[in-house]
Amino acid sequence: MRVVIAEDEAILRRGLQLLLEEDGIEVAEAVGDAPALHDAVERARPDLVITDIRMPPTHTDEGLVAALRIRAEHPGTAVVVLSQHVQRRSAGALLMGDRGGVGYLLKQRIADVDTFLDDLRTVAAGGTALDPDVVEVMMNRAVRSDNAVARLTPRQREVLALMAEGRSNARIAAELFLSEKAVVQHTSRIYDALGLAVDPEAHRRVLAVLHHLNG
Amino acid sequence: MRPSPMPSSMSGSLSRALDVVLVAGVALTAIELSLLPWDDPSLPLLIGLALVFLIYVGTGVLAWRRRPTNRMGALILFGGVGVYLAGLQNTEVPALVAAGLAGSTLILAVLVHLLHAFPSGTLRSALSRWTVGAAYVNSLVLQLPGTLFGPAGQGNPLFITELPAVADGASALQAFVGFGVMLATAYVLIRRVIDARPGQRRVLTLLYGFGAVAALAISVIAGVLGRALEMPPAVVGGLQLIFIAGVPIAFTVAALRGGFARTGELDELASWLGSASGGRAPLSAALARALGDPSLTLWFRMPHSDRYLDEHGNEMAASELDATPPPSRGSVPIELGGGAVARIAYDAALIVDPEPVRTAGRVVAIAADRERLIAELRVNRSELTRSRERVLDARDQERERLARDLHDGLQVQLVLLAIAAQQLAGDPAAPSQLAARATHLRKEIDAAAADLRRLTHAVMPAALVQHGLAAATEDLVDRMPITTTLGLGIEDGDCSPAVERTAYFVVAEALTNAIKHGSPTRAAVRLVRTGDILEIDVRDDGVGGATWHGGTGLRGLADRVDVLGGRMELTSAPGDGTRIRVELPCVS
Repeated sequence: MRVVIAEDEAILRRGLQLLLEEDGIEVAEAVGDAPALHDAVERARPDLVITDIRMPPTHTDEGLVAALRIRAEHPGTAVVVLSQHVQRRSAGALLMGDRGGVGYLLKQRIADVDTFLDDLRTVAAGGTALDPDVVEVMMNRAVRSDNAVARLTPRQREVLALMAEGRSNARIAAELFLSEKAVVQHTSRIYDALGLAVDPEAHRRVLAVLHHLNG
Repeated sequence: MRPSPMPSSMSGSLSRALDVVLVAGVALTAIELSLLPWDDPSLPLLIGLALVFLIYVGTGVLAWRRRPTNRMGALILFGGVGVYLAGLQNTEVPALVAAGLAGSTLILAVLVHLLHAFPSGTLRSALSRWTVGAAYVNSLVLQLPGTLFGPAGQGNPLFITELPAVADGASALQAFVGFGVMLATAYVLIRRVIDARPGQRRVLTLLYGFGAVAALAISVIAGVLGRALEMPPAVVGGLQLIFIAGVPIAFTVAALRGGFARTGELDELASWLGSASGGRAPLSAALARALGDPSLTLWFRMPHSDRYLDEHGNEMAASELDATPPPSRGSVPIELGGGAVARIAYDAALIVDPEPVRTAGRVVAIAADRERLIAELRVNRSELTRSRERVLDARDQERERLARDLHDGLQVQLVLLAIAAQQLAGDPAAPSQLAARATHLRKEIDAAAADLRRLTHAVMPAALVQHGLAAATEDLVDRMPITTTLGLGIEDGDCSPAVERTAYFVVAEALTNAIKHGSPTRAAVRLVRTGDILEIDVRDDGVGGATWHGGTGLRGLADRVDVLGGRMELTSAPGDGTRIRVELPCVS
């Protein structure tokens, strides 16, 4: 896997690079602002871009804008956007393309290295990774405004939240101390309850769930 | 004398005098009509000429009444005298015919006078005075030899004897002087059109154009059309009459409607002073209207200096007032108690005589002093507001910088520390007990990072800086622990950052208070921009009873709202929920 990193804090950029390289991931370039990111992507054509949302020159959301542009211009390049604070609106913007290959995580999640690397692989493989924080916001809203979600059992909601974060069945099973078979049963009940067609492709199933929650 | 309800007894007296002039004009017309030869074939033209005199009287009186100190009205009436004299030639009374012959071309000289004197009624330059003087000499003096010594005319009571050489010489001289007058007049008028302000240029061009055509028509029309084209005398005479009648109408309309000065209408000022101060127009507007100069401005003297302020808080030195473009500005001081309290700056091309301006200044001196104090207060207040805005802005910038420093510094440190802890936990060489403690440490660091995120968010939310008010409020509502609806009628970037931030902090504070003190089950937030007003409405169904005080932070927000020129309203009856409404002027 070839990765380009965009992060304006040099020390964090370096730390992230070492972290990835230790795991055998090739870091093609590590840059400090959005224009440099654009050039690096043109040169390196990476499988994955990891970008900070807030970078020079405006220190607002140029990382998000760059990520959306990269997804539009290079469908083969997945993007993970890191931020100090996650918002439903930005998640919605990233999911709009309906194709997967996007991730949106709090910066602090880097520290849980194994989970973070898992998320990178999921996204690079065309899946999605959403921060638990933003998923919580989406779930809270859905529970209040969507009767189908409100009627789910607490356990089903836990499974749904982990699905929305982009976790695999095996990972959900491990986190909730369930058998994988039990997870599959839960997920199929959730699909029934939300009225979603069961897609054999796992990533597309997750996207359907996310759109339902975000709807 | 009976106390008069009129604001000025002078204007009442003028008005009555003008009524008398009007009646006299009608009487004179009746006399002239009665003296006309009723069997003459050109009788309709003769009657027409008598009626044209009435037009001069009517328009002259109207102009005089509407612009009492402007001499255009008097001049038009004088033109009427010329017309009347011309009409007298047609009577059968020898003395009247003599007077008529003497003044038969007076109307041409008056026309030249009118053109030079417009719009103030006075002659402004030496060239104008000489030219108009020459025109009068031409029409009154040089006209005489032809009458006295010309070919023996039928019924010419002034005829003395036939001296063709004298008559022809005078006629040639008259033509020569007349040509010179025309040239000088053309030069003066063209210069004036060039120098005029754009708003006046059109009126001047039309009026001068008409004046030139009328002068040519009245003097030449008879010769060219009558003799060369052999038109019937009735038609030629009718055309002349139309031009002669058009002169006073054109000048009166231009003087009254063309935006030119009327001077000294102090009645209007008096009634302005008498009107309730709340609803009256600014003093400078009242002066501008009364003196007929729309460009007039009033400058108030600042204390202990020679600098002046206008109503909008602009500042200028006394010396600059006369020097500001357009070049022909004049200014006179308004004095009260021995010193100048203000200056009236006016268009000197429009108002030649500064005396009426000075008089108007004396009338409004006390009012001007009052306005001066108000203007001073306004300057102080706007300075105060500006400084409060600067304080607010500086505070926001400080918050933003603090949030950024926390994010860039501490947050990055915490991420790196957590990575280090996690690497320690994942080290295959580490004993399992140590690995467990390292993982625990990493989670503690994550928790600290989460606290830091909350803190930074409270100081200056990233969403507000990154996207704007709508996104940040949405984020706020998203994270509410109770059902909260959001009505958004704004776009990000609609209003200035200061307004957006204030609106955000109002919503945040209101929701925080609701959760902390109100135990509501539902809340509603509405942000709508209507025209230039941003309306903020936050409601909850909690216990109510919120006050401005008691640590709610509402007091500080009310100050913020006040600095931005907005207003804030708190409705919170006990047991009936709380509603906070704020209106902020929204400029992007």
